[in-house]
Amino acid sequence: MNFNKDGRLHNAVYSSFSKNLIKAFVLIIVFFIFIMPVLRLVIMSFIGDDGMTSDFYRDVLSSDRTWTVLSNTAIIVILSTLISSVLGIVFAWLIAYTDIRAKNIIQLFIFLPFIIPSYIISLAWVDFFGGQGTLNTILEWFGMASGGWNLYSFSGIIVVMGISHFPLVYLFTVNVFRRIPREMEHAARASGAGRWHSFKNILIPMALPGIASGTFIAFLGSLDNFGTPAFLGIPGNITVLSTYIYQQVIGFGTSSFNYAAVLSVVLGVIAVIGLLIQWFLLRKSKRIQTTQLDMEPRYHLGRKKYIIEFLISLFFLVTSIFPLLSMASSSFLNAYGLSFTPENLSLDNFEYVMTSSSTYDAIMNSLKFAGVTAGIGLFIGTFIAYIRVRKGGNTIRTVETAITIPYALPGTVLALAMIFTWINPIPRVDWNPGIYGSAMIMYIAYFTRFLLLQVRGSITAFQQVDIEIEEAAQVNGSKAMVKWRKILIPLILPGVLSGTVLVFLTALTELTVSALLYSSTSETIGVSILSFQQSGYSLYANAFSTLIVLTIIVVYLILFTVQFFIKRKVKSDDS
Amino acid sequence: MTAEIRQLNKFFGNFQALKDINLETSEGEFIAILGPSGCGKTTLLRLLAGFSAPSGGEIYLDGEAVASKTMNVPPEKRNLNMVFQSFALWPHMNIEDHIRFALKNHRYMEKLNSKEMNERIDEILRIVGLEQFKHRLPGELSGGQKQRVSLARAIAPAPRLLLMDEPLSNLDAELRIEMRREIQKIHKITKASIVYVTHDQGEALAMADRIIVMNDGKIEQIGTPEEIYESPETSFVATFVGKANLFKGAWKDEVFKPEGTQLAWRQNNVTGSFIKDGIFPLRPEQIRLTKAEEEKLQGRIMTKQFQGKEYHYSLDVNGRTVIVHMPINESYEIGETVSIEPDIIWGWDKKAPEN
Repeated sequence: MNFNKDGRLHNAVYSSFSKNLIKAFVLIIVFFIFIMPVLRLVIMSFIGDDGMTSDFYRDVLSSDRTWTVLSNTAIIVILSTLISSVLGIVFAWLIAYTDIRAKNIIQLFIFLPFIIPSYIISLAWVDFFGGQGTLNTILEWFGMASGGWNLYSFSGIIVVMGISHFPLVYLFTVNVFRRIPREMEHAARASGAGRWHSFKNILIPMALPGIASGTFIAFLGSLDNFGTPAFLGIPGNITVLSTYIYQQVIGFGTSSFNYAAVLSVVLGVIAVIGLLIQWFLLRKSKRIQTTQLDMEPRYHLGRKKYIIEFLISLFFLVTSIFPLLSMASSSFLNAYGLSFTPENLSLDNFEYVMTSSSTYDAIMNSLKFAGVTAGIGLFIGTFIAYIRVRKGGNTIRTVETAITIPYALPGTVLALAMIFTWINPIPRVDWNPGIYGSAMIMYIAYFTRFLLLQVRGSITAFQQVDIEIEEAAQVNGSKAMVKWRKILIPLILPGVLSGTVLVFLTALTELTVSALLYSSTSETIGVSILSFQQSGYSLYANAFSTLIVLTIIVVYLILFTVQFFIKRKVKSDDS
Repeated sequence: MTAEIRQLNKFFGNFQALKDINLETSEGEFIAILGPSGCGKTTLLRLLAGFSAPSGGEIYLDGEAVASKTMNVPPEKRNLNMVFQSFALWPHMNIEDHIRFALKNHRYMEKLNSKEMNERIDEILRIVGLEQFKHRLPGELSGGQKQRVSLARAIAPAPRLLLMDEPLSNLDAELRIEMRREIQKIHKITKASIVYVTHDQGEALAMADRIIVMNDGKIEQIGTPEEIYESPETSFVATFVGKANLFKGAWKDEVFKPEGTQLAWRQNNVTGSFIKDGIFPLRPEQIRLTKAEEEKLQGRIMTKQFQGKEYHYSLDVNGRTVIVHMPINESYEIGETVSIEPDIIWGWDKKAPEN
């Protein structure tokens, strides 16, 4: 054997000095990109023309308008979270425990409001439930005109937000339910507890931390949501924190950036409190549940099954299908409010959206931003995930936490933090690299905000590949390249691609961050639809949104097809 | 391949997983590392493979240093292969491709042309009896078949050292016995040295040329299966491998006086450490029960289990539990008081070891 020298060279243990140097370098970069902006935002809220001051806080907190906005926010966030939680938990319970049929299809429809941006859902709901909406028109035919539902109201915002965020609660709680071993409840029943008693004293206490944690996710989502309050609240003159910050920033008044910074700190602090409670609950929940997912139904509903299946179908028809179809069909109308007769229908709105230079630019911009973010994120996010899953350690944990911050914070807060950071990247040095105001800031902001989605997707993918599978390749002599190409990449690809598609579509349809950061050369699809809607061209907004929904569906179909073909090779392997 | 391990230590943070391990193996030897979970046996195997580096000490393969505190030759450069507890099959590759992968990539495999490659694949599959499953994916195989694939992949490139990490623990009892024969066959055909980690003393006794019993990061005893079973050197080996009862008392020459009695039990095969500690290890089948007699050690039968050719009793002897196996022609009932005495032919055990 003559590998001794080679072996020495190959595996010379890094000196701890150079190891630490690399660690320090990584941490500095991560700190600068992901954490620094948040600190800059906090600092900006204290810095006026004459240095440190708390004047902005005094001004903002003593203004009646602020307190109106805060109370609007509280009402909307709390009530919509309530709706999301009830819907999310009920659906999670039905899917996890009962024997209703077509669970896969139901799950697809649950995901619909998750993958379609909330501003599009707002548009669709206005088109279906609104005063001149489809539902009202149909009711008029039957002589039951009701005047419709004014969605530009508290009730409208609350319900649309509740619908938009219930998938988050569902996603979180369905596996909480599945992880509770059925034997826990059986043991209670065998010990003499009745059905209700064991539900109340065994199941609920075990599921509660997980459920509560999911509820806080919906709370954070409502706090972060900008699309629905912008599309429904601004026309209805109902302002919440996220739209108030937006109005301050685009208002460009004196000190308006400082006021926006103060409001962002307020919003950020509320979000961080929610986040900490959620983390705490999640930890508690994980301590309780350690077992495998149990996918088999536990309750047989008998005949009631049909009634429940009917109600579920009705729910999706009314909340998703009808509004989206209504939006799509009114996109063909020549003018708003016309009736559906052949002479009133044309492709003019679609033609305008596809050909006008401003929307064309917006589409190209969004495609570029989303494509580049997803592409770079694919490599960096997967690399981070690999280190996190296979090597672990404090450094990578810190990196992961840092990456979580820009995603967990409300989008308006992040956008403002980006402005302050990139207008003047190095504090106390008078240097503006011209990133703010150019397309560059969009790439940076999207990368910062959405990297986490790729990291999460790739972590899940790697966790499903046992370390021994990799070691088996290594012990058979394969070089790193062969190991990745032949073993790892084929196995992780389906999971990694889900992450990439999620990043791509989220960035493509993103509104919150771009509404604050866009310039004339970097208008996005979301911003373009917002400006159509705000200036009264709602049919253009409808047509554009319809195209986006179709794009989302097509991209997901492609993803599913690709995954199907990859997975067909792999089959289920239970070893 | 021969392996030599000198003063090997391994720390995980403050926890010492291996404590001053010394070991030499000879060419073609089948070594079993036996111990309870957490004893360090898998850590030792992973160090031999090169998946982790020692905190101190050295490892030599065929006389060449491959690992020390400052260097670690990676697994792919050690001319070895490994069979994993989880089988570690690649779910997207069929059986043939698994073997092809090993033949193509293993550094010590001579380069084969495609005809030789196919012949070698068929030969290996024939050895493990999987010829007709060549094109199946791992997901389409049973547990036993998966383990055969894992074995086939490991032996295909003819490594000179084969490492096995509890390869049978994911199989059911019936299949385990069958696979023991399979592994013995493979050892005979390949003539590779084998290091086999297990917590099942039956597997170690059945297959190994030599057994290394480990506990708490240390080697308790090294010896042939017969030596380990018949002449345990420590209380741990006596109880873990032979399931022995440990009687306390005092030794004088070759005579043992059980605590609190004036009895004299004779035996000349007990090692020094037991004599020093005043312990007499007796395996369940080395004890005979008789009708209660005043002048013998007495106990009360607590449980009785029928096991086909014998009964397994547990007895309460002065507050201690003693396990005894007796042939079925002598039967005692629960609650009965009986006498206990060693049942050993002078110098050597009258029964052959089981398993």
